Amino acid sequence: MPEYSNQFKDHLAHPRNAGELAEANAVADEQNPVCGDRLRLSLMVESNRIETARYLAYGCPPTLVCGSVLTELITGKTVDEARQMTKSDLLAGVGGLPSRKQHAAALAIETLNAALDRLKVDS
Amino acid sequence: MTNRVYLDHSATTPVDPRVAAAMTRALAETYGNPSSVHGFGQQARGAVDRARREVANLIHAKPNEIVFTSGGTEANNLAIRGLCEASAAHGRHIITSAIEHPSVRGVCDAQEKHGWEITRLPVYENGIVRIDDLNAAVRPDTVLVTLMWANNEIGTIQPIREVGALIREKRAAGQRNLWFHTDAVQAAGRLAINVDDVGCDLLSISAHKLYAPKGVGALYVRRGVRLAVQNVGGHQERERRAGTENVPAIVAFGEAARLAREEITTRVAHDAALRDRFEQRVKELIRDVVMNGDRERRLSHLSNISFRFIEGEGLLINLDLEGVAVSTGSACSSGTLEPSPVIRALGVNDELARGSIRFSFGKDNSDADVNYVVAVLSRAVERLRALSPLTLVGHN
Repeated sequence: MPEYSNQFKDHLAHPRNAGELAEANAVADEQNPVCGDRLRLSLMVESNRIETARYLAYGCPPTLVCGSVLTELITGKTVDEARQMTKSDLLAGVGGLPSRKQHAAALAIETLNAALDRLKVDS
Repeated sequence: MTNRVYLDHSATTPVDPRVAAAMTRALAETYGNPSSVHGFGQQARGAVDRARREVANLIHAKPNEIVFTSGGTEANNLAIRGLCEASAAHGRHIITSAIEHPSVRGVCDAQEKHGWEITRLPVYENGIVRIDDLNAAVRPDTVLVTLMWANNEIGTIQPIREVGALIREKRAAGQRNLWFHTDAVQAAGRLAINVDDVGCDLLSISAHKLYAPKGVGALYVRRGVRLAVQNVGGHQERERRAGTENVPAIVAFGEAARLAREEITTRVAHDAALRDRFEQRVKELIRDVVMNGDRERRLSHLSNISFRFIEGEGLLINLDLEGVAVSTGSACSSGTLEPSPVIRALGVNDELARGSIRFSFGKDNSDADVNYVVAVLSRAVERLRALSPLTLVGHN
């Protein structure tokens, strides 16, 4: 598996923040319509800050790992800070991905933004 | 990493030490060009001829019906392209199946672009073609039927004898330019092959599936079958494949073929025992699994299983992290998923096609390997299912 970083392998073997949040106030479930990869993100936002994040993922390993890394990167961030997150930030967080797998990071950022949009609508 | 288990013998096999020893001797001692008339050349010619006899014996052919190639892919290319070019005056229709190896599927696709018509027979949920479908598909302008003997992903065994019998019937009824090729790359060494019993005209084999090195294979060409040469520029292989022979690899192939013939019964029983115990343990320990392909008519060393709610590549890499090598037919690349065409041809849905994994056993695997893989596999499946949003619906 030479194309993946050590942090990638660590997140794949030991996913962080997996699951659902019953008390979530921002949830998004996005799918890549072409390949079928799916990411579900549930956030607990209090005082404009992401207190807790959980994810579920179906798809190739980069999608699973991007979900795990994303929840670590956004926990503790304000909503505005989270909105500033880019695909490049996430790619750096997973230790890089081969170009043919970078759509996984794009799906994760789309899911984050969709969840934050939902928070705006609900609050 | 505490353990390494190789369960990808359908992709390639480790080189048997006895084969490696034969090849090493040939590398060191048999360096003449087999086309040279001097003693060094004749020594190499003798080594190639002995190997040719062993490969012929493996499939009950005559030595002069064996054409050495660079592998199974080249053998399939030579068989299909060579036959089509030589037979185009009689018709431009090929019959094949929906689950052929890419080296057959790709050549048929290429022929289609050149104006040939291709009929791809369905395989139904058991992964096996039906003779009635083949019979109905044969037309007056059909010149080639190319069907794999055994499938590389699910291991199902096609009714090759019945296909051969049907083609003989058609010939007897006057269709004299109808020929039969079978890709036996997965079958050779794992099933008893007798080209005369089967009645095939062309048959492809690859050495590296038989515990020999990569880069060498063979095409059986029944006497009287006309092929247009694809490699020109030399007289080797009775004018059917130009290029100086890869003598050490051919010697290794010959030794591997001899060992496969002598040990086939033991190997098949060994692989089947491990595979069957593995499948039994998987069924006991892991819920929501689907075993793909016919349960009876399949190779003894191979198991193809779909694990619901998870994707095959994620499982493959989880297993790889724990030293277990398996394979999946599906691939996700640049945001485009290519589910395995073989699993899709069984009529299963996308989720099952994406979640399929091939486990293929070999002669050096042990009971301890099965125990280790089952333990690692059940943990990995559990971990991935805990992540999967599909389980939210699937388990309700």
